[in-house]
Amino acid sequence: MGDPFTDVLVGFAAELRAAGLTVGTGDVLTYFAAMTPLDPTDLVDLYWAGRATLVSRREDGGVYDEVFRRYFLGADAPAKNQLVLRAQSVAEAEAELVMPGTEPGPGENQERPFLGWMASGADTLKHRSFTACTPAELAALRRIMATMRLTPPRRRTRRTRPAATGPEPDMRATIRESMRMHGEPPGQLFFRQRKTKLRPLILILDVSGSMADYSRHLLQFAHTARHAAARVEVFCFGTRLTRITRELAHQRVDAALEEAARTVVDWDGGTRIGESLDTFVRKWARGGLCRGAVVVICSDGLDRGDPEVLATAMERLARLCHRIVWLNPHKGDDRDFRPSTLGMIVAAPHIDLLLSGHDLASLEELAGLLPVLN
Amino acid sequence: MEYPGTVTELTASLRQGGYLADRGLATTLLVSLSLRRPVLLEGEVGVGKTEVAKVLAAVFGRKLIRLQCYEGITTSQALYEWDYSRQMLQIRALSQAEAADERSVDKLFGPKFLLERPLLEAVRQGDRAVLLIDEIDRADDEFEAFLLEVLSDFQISIPELGTVTADSRPVVILTSNRTRELHDALRRRCLYHWIGYPTAAREAEIVAVREPAAGQLTRKVVAAVHRLREMDLAKPPGVAETIDWVRTLGVLGENELTPDAASDTLGAVIKDRDDLDLVRENLAEIISGG
Repeated sequence: MGDPFTDVLVGFAAELRAAGLTVGTGDVLTYFAAMTPLDPTDLVDLYWAGRATLVSRREDGGVYDEVFRRYFLGADAPAKNQLVLRAQSVAEAEAELVMPGTEPGPGENQERPFLGWMASGADTLKHRSFTACTPAELAALRRIMATMRLTPPRRRTRRTRPAATGPEPDMRATIRESMRMHGEPPGQLFFRQRKTKLRPLILILDVSGSMADYSRHLLQFAHTARHAAARVEVFCFGTRLTRITRELAHQRVDAALEEAARTVVDWDGGTRIGESLDTFVRKWARGGLCRGAVVVICSDGLDRGDPEVLATAMERLARLCHRIVWLNPHKGDDRDFRPSTLGMIVAAPHIDLLLSGHDLASLEELAGLLPVLN
Repeated sequence: MEYPGTVTELTASLRQGGYLADRGLATTLLVSLSLRRPVLLEGEVGVGKTEVAKVLAAVFGRKLIRLQCYEGITTSQALYEWDYSRQMLQIRALSQAEAADERSVDKLFGPKFLLERPLLEAVRQGDRAVLLIDEIDRADDEFEAFLLEVLSDFQISIPELGTVTADSRPVVILTSNRTRELHDALRRRCLYHWIGYPTAAREAEIVAVREPAAGQLTRKVVAAVHRLREMDLAKPPGVAETIDWVRTLGVLGENELTPDAASDTLGAVIKDRDDLDLVRENLAEIISGG
């Protein structure tokens, strides 16, 4: 096309793509259109128009900033040779890039695995996980687990469906019937009933040293559960909490497990149940993620942190969600199991159902009890 | 009133309406106004996401149409519904011969008996409206897909009446509190902007615009709120809470942020019992300014 402005913006989009953002041709066209009412020589306008049109989630903001800085402001910035930029706008843009409110806050850092990775040097960061799982093992597990379905209990929704009897008359159907009878009142009334819907299921899995052996099975199970039920969210924790729902969205089990192994960087690094649950409550549960949901926590309750933190987090969680199920592999098949770890004792008053989850049979027990947990 | 053509004008107009938009938000809104693309606003609770739409509508003389989303929202609550009780009365009033007539049946499903819900109203109003779709993350996934269809074409088909198409597009603002990840398809249809907490200076400015009578108190309250945000609270206060606090102190006739005054009015900023305990312990430090 030869137009330097076009080349620069297209080049910028290509850089963003190279940095891992999803930028389609349509987005670039929108970016062009967005610049029409703005000043193309003003870097601040270039910055914000691009940010609004090319970035569609907050987490990507940092990458965008970085690429923008490199592309438009760097010492050997590609854009500098081709575009005549207003001198003062360069300074403004520099200020814009460190503007508070656009940078992720201190609490947000944990969302990006590599940041958390650098922040906690003490964690033993090993990818010790599913690589140990032989293909034959995986296949066998998959066959068995594919037959199991995790079905959460149901709840009534606001929506209704036609029914023979019910609390609400179905006015639409009644009027329709009346019309067919040429205005005569219909011989029968039609009714509607509330629909029911599966409750969300939230799995919070301990993947620390003492639980590593079980977590492999449980991640498999979590993956199967995701395909079976309406809405499943999966979190992993050890020294801290990681959300792995997205990683598990992959269709292939192996790929999903590999991905999860990479995300859960604190593999085998020790357990901080209290702090992890506290993070969960603050960051996710309070926003409404687990309202009306069944939360399944799998851990042995060996907490290295402050028991008070765990107690508070559990109490809050119990108030925010519908039911809490705790799987403790140490319970085994022992029916008179009494929790001995401090973490378990502290958490016990808030648990609605305590199961073992140490083998396939106990997972079947969970699958059987879950639908009636109302 | 026409929408402005430059960022500066837009910022000034919003300011008249009592809303201080930063450069990023103003640019995003301007692009949205000129391209007529929906804007998706995300951000912490109480930073003024909903307020943007209200002020836009008020300042530019548009009608604010609000669709509050919630779990289980249905299309009949968002689009249109027939007025069944009126239809029923009409049928009863018809004579035998009239009831057999096709035309009276057609009338029964005419505009007179149609109850407009927000989305249909917005399509009918077109540019005369600002459509606010609030807390979209609370609605179900399926509703999002349906919304996508409406937002891309701005036309709604009513089987009995035909298709209603917008002659001009309304300004659409969507807000989300991120309780659920929105679908990429919806994100791609929208311009995206994240509204964070403002800096102390800016927040003081915002409060001054809203509560001009507060004077010196504003700065002290803003400083205290900023310290609260640094604390490890379950629910950190937003800008709305800052304004509430200043207003509450004003109602009580307080001119100083004394420990007693702060303690009595703490309920305006802190909305959680555990947080309240934590804040009470450190109250002196929070309001001292050091």
